[in-house]
Amino acid sequence: MSDVSLLAARGVARRFGGHVALQPTDLEVRGGEALALVGPNGAGKSTLLAILAGALEPSEGAVERADGVRAGWMPQKPAHYGRLSPRQNLELFARLERAGDPAELLARLELPDDDRPASALSVGNRQRLDLAISLLPDPRVLLLDEPTAALDPRQRRRLWETARGVRDAGGAVVLVTQNLEDLEHVADRVAALLDGRVIFDGPVAAYLASEAAVTLR
Amino acid sequence: MTPAWLVLRKDLLVLRRSPALLGVLVAYPLVIALLIGLTAAYANAKPRVAFVDKDGIPHRLTVAGNIFDIDRLIDDVGKNVEIVRMSESQAAQQLASGRVSAVVTVPQGFVADLKGLVSSPHLTLATGSGGITPRVRQQMQALVFNLNLRLQKAFIKADLRYVGLLLHGGTGRVLGHDFSIIGLDGTKRLLATMPDSPQKAKIADFVDDARLALALTDNAIRATASPVVLDEVSGQGRTSLLSAQVQAYGLAITISFLGLLLAAGSLASERDENAIGRLVRGLIGLGQLVAAKVGLAVAVALGIGLAILVGFGIAVEAGGVHGGEPWQRLPLVLLGVLFAGAAVGAVGTLVGALARESRTASLVGILVVLPVVFLGLVPKQIVPVAAWISDAFPFVHAVRFFASALYDGSPLGTIGRETAWLLGLAALFGALSRLSVRRLAV
Repeated sequence: MSDVSLLAARGVARRFGGHVALQPTDLEVRGGEALALVGPNGAGKSTLLAILAGALEPSEGAVERADGVRAGWMPQKPAHYGRLSPRQNLELFARLERAGDPAELLARLELPDDDRPASALSVGNRQRLDLAISLLPDPRVLLLDEPTAALDPRQRRRLWETARGVRDAGGAVVLVTQNLEDLEHVADRVAALLDGRVIFDGPVAAYLASEAAVTLR
Repeated sequence: MTPAWLVLRKDLLVLRRSPALLGVLVAYPLVIALLIGLTAAYANAKPRVAFVDKDGIPHRLTVAGNIFDIDRLIDDVGKNVEIVRMSESQAAQQLASGRVSAVVTVPQGFVADLKGLVSSPHLTLATGSGGITPRVRQQMQALVFNLNLRLQKAFIKADLRYVGLLLHGGTGRVLGHDFSIIGLDGTKRLLATMPDSPQKAKIADFVDDARLALALTDNAIRATASPVVLDEVSGQGRTSLLSAQVQAYGLAITISFLGLLLAAGSLASERDENAIGRLVRGLIGLGQLVAAKVGLAVAVALGIGLAILVGFGIAVEAGGVHGGEPWQRLPLVLLGVLFAGAAVGAVGTLVGALARESRTASLVGILVVLPVVFLGLVPKQIVPVAAWISDAFPFVHAVRFFASALYDGSPLGTIGRETAWLLGLAALFGALSRLSVRRLAV
């Protein structure tokens, strides 16, 4: 892990009408680390990740991203065009990103390369298509929201390899997860959230031995 | 390629991959246009008018020696209005409830007045207060006019018969009394048997002058009765199906439905598909996203509009109809389709941004477009406020642009004004959409 901050949340908070989804939060993501965001449903993990990705504007605070750092984001729900084929989706987002090789990603992630619309794919394949789209800009920071939820064991291992590859190349991975296996195989650090607040931020081993882990279980 | 072009191209690709959706989107407005056409035809249907006969008019009536077939006269009027015989109380009740548009009452003594030729008999017309009243009044005025015309002809015929008696002599009947006269011809013959004298010469001169003058009476009386005669020549105009107005409405309705629903649905679907989150991460500006959806409405409007125009052009050519230039004016109309598509698309993006979800956007789109179209069909003279509201939406301006571009001799004035309206509305609704579209990313 380096000391270089690639992405940082500075006092970011988010409200949806009268509901506070995320209280003012500071979080820094450094190069060479994989950070897992854990917590029960509705804790604010996906909101924080979407804010870090730039997909959601914070109600207050700001996100700082180091110059030239590209971030790839894979949201929890499918985020691609259901009527287009996987190739058409990848080609479109590659053009919008001005980066990436759709054919290489189709092959690497073993996505079907036919004319079937993405909506006809299995949940797991749709999740892999989202992963492929998030990898198009060759990101230094990879933001993944429950990426292994619908993957079979083989595809899960491939995803861990991909995430570790980004991390080992000096980039960073932030993943929202409910899966202890993800912590084991990818994460170096855990930030635990409860009711929109970070209640723990530290190494995986420390988290697993902490009160927070007991509370969240 | 700019991000807006890429998103537009994606939307067109999505549309191409959804033929059923495209079919429904094209067929639906055409069905609506057809229904509106049928409604307009119904609007031209005969108003129902109560006929109250308090005088007991006979089936046949003799006036000034002429026999009038009353049933046939009513049948003739029935070509324009549906005459329903009923009692006075029924008529009053049905007029109050709106089941009849008017009540024509024949008062007691009508036939006697008509036969007496001394004073004009009166008919009474009672009307409701609805929008159809002027048309019913017009029809009833036409009825009285036609009745008067027939009576006038009968009276002239009777008068000319008297003139004939004055000229040639014979027997006649007036006010119930029979008479016999020798006439001017008989007078001349009688004078020929009398000895010459200055008095006889004067009488003979008078008889000759009177015969000459009375010989001209026929045409003079007819000309006085009808100073202007309207000769009707049928079959010269375009059938209503191919009329400029039908074409303009058909085009505008199709573009309004397609443009609004597509722009609204495709913008809202960015949120449904969760893609909006990806797009707003710097891949495309919100203004560009709105522009892409407006562009989709324009592209589809141009494609469908061109197909409709070519279809109409072929029908006009095949029908051998004169007037209007379906091919020469095509570029001008397509320019109007472009402006109308942009304005309608901008309204659609606002609907899509506010609805946030494509099913809601489609429903709201239909809820918006139907009243806008119907408001545009309401004549300004009947409900002025409908015209003011209608002016705030692109539909009515599109109709005026198309109608003028297709058939006006000098369309530039109207086209300039309606272009300003359409572009102004596109800019206004586009700006409102740009402000609202941020809601989608939440």
